[in-house]
Amino acid sequence: MPGTTGLHELVAELRERLAVVRQGGSESARSKHLDRGKLLVRDRVDRLLDPGSPFLELSPLAAFGMYGASAEDLYAVPAASIVTGIGRIEGRECVVVANDATVKGGTYYPMTVKKHLRAQQVAADNLLPCVYLVDSGGAFLPMQDEVFPDKEHFGRIFFNQANLSARGIPQIASVMGSCTAGGAYVPAMSDESVIVKDQGTIFLGGPPLVKAATGEVVTAEELGGGDVHARRSGVVDHLAEDDAHALAIVRSIVGTLPRHAGFETGLRPSSTSTEVEEPHEDPGTLADVVPTDTRTPYDVREVIRRIVDGSRFHEFKQLYGETLVTGFAHIWGHQVGIVANNGILFSESSLKGAHFIELCNQRGIPIVFLQNITGFMVGREYENRGIARDGAKLVTAVACSVVPKFTVVIGGSFGAGNYGMCGRAYDPRFLWMWPNARISVMGGEQAASVLAEVRGPDKDDTEEFKAGIRDQYESQGSPYYSTARLWDDGIIDPADTRRVLGMGLAVAAHAPIPAPSFGVFRM
Amino acid sequence: MARPITTVLVANRGEIALRVIRACRETGRRSVAIYTATDRDAPHARAADDAIEVGSYLDIEAVVAAAQQARADAVHPGYGFLSERAAFAAALEQAEIRLVGPSARVMDKMGRKDAARDIAVRAGVPVVPSFELAGFETGASAPSSTSEVAFPVLVKAAAGGGGKGMRIVRRAEDFDEAVAAAKREALSAFGDDTILVEKYVEHGRHIEVQVLADHHGNVVHLHERDCSTQRRHQKVLEEAPAPTISDGVRRLVTDSAVALAREVGYTNAGTVEFLLDVDTDEAYFLEMNTRLQVEHPVTEAITGLDLVHLQLDIAAGKPLPFKQDDIAVTGHAIEARVYAEDSFGGFLPQAGRTSLVRWPEGAGIRVDQALESGQVVSTSYDPMLGKVIAHGPDREAARRALLGALDRTGILGLTTNTGFLRALVASDEFRQARIDTAWLDTAEVAAPDADVPRVFVAWVQAMLAATTDSGHPFQADGWRLGGPAADTRVELDRPVLVGRDSVGEHRVRMLSAANHMAVLEIDGRREQAVVNVQPHIAEVCWRGQRFVFDRPDVFADHGLLAGDGAVVAPMPGTVLEVRVAVGQSVAEGDVLGVVEAMKMELALKAPFAGTVSAVDAVAGEQVSLGDQLFMVSTSSTSSTTSTTEGEA
Repeated sequence: MPGTTGLHELVAELRERLAVVRQGGSESARSKHLDRGKLLVRDRVDRLLDPGSPFLELSPLAAFGMYGASAEDLYAVPAASIVTGIGRIEGRECVVVANDATVKGGTYYPMTVKKHLRAQQVAADNLLPCVYLVDSGGAFLPMQDEVFPDKEHFGRIFFNQANLSARGIPQIASVMGSCTAGGAYVPAMSDESVIVKDQGTIFLGGPPLVKAATGEVVTAEELGGGDVHARRSGVVDHLAEDDAHALAIVRSIVGTLPRHAGFETGLRPSSTSTEVEEPHEDPGTLADVVPTDTRTPYDVREVIRRIVDGSRFHEFKQLYGETLVTGFAHIWGHQVGIVANNGILFSESSLKGAHFIELCNQRGIPIVFLQNITGFMVGREYENRGIARDGAKLVTAVACSVVPKFTVVIGGSFGAGNYGMCGRAYDPRFLWMWPNARISVMGGEQAASVLAEVRGPDKDDTEEFKAGIRDQYESQGSPYYSTARLWDDGIIDPADTRRVLGMGLAVAAHAPIPAPSFGVFRM
Repeated sequence: MARPITTVLVANRGEIALRVIRACRETGRRSVAIYTATDRDAPHARAADDAIEVGSYLDIEAVVAAAQQARADAVHPGYGFLSERAAFAAALEQAEIRLVGPSARVMDKMGRKDAARDIAVRAGVPVVPSFELAGFETGASAPSSTSEVAFPVLVKAAAGGGGKGMRIVRRAEDFDEAVAAAKREALSAFGDDTILVEKYVEHGRHIEVQVLADHHGNVVHLHERDCSTQRRHQKVLEEAPAPTISDGVRRLVTDSAVALAREVGYTNAGTVEFLLDVDTDEAYFLEMNTRLQVEHPVTEAITGLDLVHLQLDIAAGKPLPFKQDDIAVTGHAIEARVYAEDSFGGFLPQAGRTSLVRWPEGAGIRVDQALESGQVVSTSYDPMLGKVIAHGPDREAARRALLGALDRTGILGLTTNTGFLRALVASDEFRQARIDTAWLDTAEVAAPDADVPRVFVAWVQAMLAATTDSGHPFQADGWRLGGPAADTRVELDRPVLVGRDSVGEHRVRMLSAANHMAVLEIDGRREQAVVNVQPHIAEVCWRGQRFVFDRPDVFADHGLLAGDGAVVAPMPGTVLEVRVAVGQSVAEGDVLGVVEAMKMELALKAPFAGTVSAVDAVAGEQVSLGDQLFMVSTSSTSSTTSTTEGEA
């Protein structure tokens, strides 16, 4: 049971797993890559970013436990063979999307596509320039049905590039290795592109395909090398000597971009100009104040105190609907509204939440959801009093909210509680999970009971049946199961909550907020 | 006969002008500086109570006129410029303005080498043994001449100078040949074949004695100095007292100096220079400098006297306030002269604007300087920027104090010899006082390594990035999700990774950093440096040596650095000319051929230095756009980032 494992141990496990993933592909793949004079993908990112720049990596554990030959093969496609995240280039935040050629040649698995698209979504939401460091063999052919044809598949990458560019969000590509077939469109669809000489290649069909199709025998370099594209085809705009040079050119390009990306104008979230005050309670002690068993109740204000500036929290409606804590605070100088579970959702807490979200929207204040919810209260009394009606108000408020939303799953995320507390479907700008988080439509025990009930109670193997259901929910409710499938933007050490929220708020401040408008609130 | 001096014209610039102005102020006198147009904002022009512009510091008429205009009672000439010009002294006498120095008559006498030598002989001062060989036929009298000659000797033209007709002869059998050659050269160069043969001192030390003489017949010496550490007759390090001489020699040179001053009727401060033969322990009179010396502070340090105060008082007619026996020597002092020169780069003179100037302070340290941050140093004047003087209870203590002081000297923006001085002071040769006057002309002084300076620049740059870019969630702390913070990458001549307690392979701990001075513990050793990090250049001064690291500029022209050496037709046209052949070496930008297109002649240039490996162009032929016409190959690929740390 995860509830019995201490948060410290869970954090240690997370860090171990991240350390493995950060290495990238196998040792032999890495040394082959290095022998070609190429930098490893994370070194590329480090050198692309400003010296000392932090990097908010997104979903580093994507594809974790997927695509392996066996269930034990957790690292078959580390990070889904692509590194994405937000870092600073020439003093401005940019989205970086970088293929890891040491992992299956940087080919696109379903989760690779999803992660690439997610990074573009982050760029679109927050008006961040995109830098693509391309080194990929294109779609992973054995799984073409899961990466090629559908709306949110490979083609969407280029659709996004075109539309991001149209919105005034710069698209910059550096071709540092293969860029084959569909992948060829990444540099071609970019506003400005760089290629590394004698290393980067761009072609729709590689030499084997050309030979098969037309009989022409041609080398990769002749077909689509740096010289060809920089001097003849015009597919790229800059020719670089090597990786380091290419990255320097990209930095230079970013330096020429206008100060703000995007054509949209309007009210942006404000931040205080005063010096940022650290929380009075050390965020490092978060793992100590959260009980090891997720079922043990505790005061979520202990968490809030360890996240917000100066541990100062201006609570709203403290005495009403006490199972939902709402209030205003600052995180890294950015004003936020906080909505945090402190027990089950009742009608009052739902109404309080809806009211508070409306308030934040009227004031243009981003909202942080601290999600730890087993669901809305059930039972005749509550149903008859219309908890569904009040829950709908909360869901409507969350869904229609126009201010940036951020969700951190700090415990359970079950059922409709997930909706009311801004789950992935409600478009939070970012959604992070703590390593102790659990996510499923209901708890494993409840699901087992419900399903056993539906199946018919008088079976001999009911216990066996229920155990199977419990096991399924146990494994699918894990944050690793979630993060592997990009239901979130990453599992974080609770101590980093304040930092990632700060980074999220900082980038969200780039995009203007539209005027608030809500659907019908069922009264 | 005392006539007070209330206003002094300071006929000099730089540190010595400041030194004299300070003395005037300390003794309640008004100082008036002179300055040239380029020195309008120079420190000395600002420091004096008043300042008058002159066309040149060497213009006697203008300087005298300035003195008259300033109603100066006296002129202090400093050193250099007009300080030893008898004509200047005479012009001042004419204008009834006192020179803080000897009379024109004495200056004239001591300024002529032959006359000075005669006076020295009359005063019983030992001179370099010499023989005049005039009007003898080549070969005829050689045996009789050589019999009285002790080798090695220096054969030189009596009328000569500048080394012309000068020869060192170590063996009797080479003598005739050398004399004959010297005569031929002397005759053609000076029209006079009179030859002097002098004893040649293989290993000499430069010993000099400071004398003071008043207008009342009192003459004292302020002990001796050793200025043997010199390069091409330019003094580099000076110290007092002389570290290697015997009591006998000391007595000989000091007595001789006083005798010489008396003999010539010297007044004010002067210096009598001797050459000490290390092999024989014999000292010979060289010349007398009729002015204050650059290195006077070492004498001041060990005697506790202020030579400029005394000079002014003597010029005012006051008698010396002490007798010879009253002058005691306390401890040891060493001076290092800071020049604008690149000692490790062929001693080339340097010019430029200083960006940061840090002079050392501390117990036993004196700095006489006229160099500030932001000052322009030109090659128009003497390259000496200042002097660092250390005084300690003994030579080793003074040497160590000087070492520390040079370590704390940081001049950035232009390269100085401070690092060279530091290396010299630290050398075994200097520590053991084994440096003779010829040593530096051949010795190799190792340049300091750029490793530690690189650590400083990288560390400071990373620290600046972290401290100036903070207080927001994207602050430059290298934060990574669920992992250790990334090292800060600093791009210098090579990328350097800076961690919390490391720079590259070195363990680093910062002890302090303020006001451009950083103190780091690097691999357990404490080091300090002056660091100036600017957007595109980083400079560091470590152990006195300036290192410059160009920082790659992302906005710099990235151009097509990656050219493969193919030179293609830029337009469709006709090849007019082919200027190179396969195998020919070309420099970057050399014209390989010319193409005419659209009534324009386009020169096709080599993209980089290399060898022509293919010539596809044929004169008179039509070419299409993009046709390859030439190929230039290079053995090594060109580097994308530039490196300058040179000065090391």
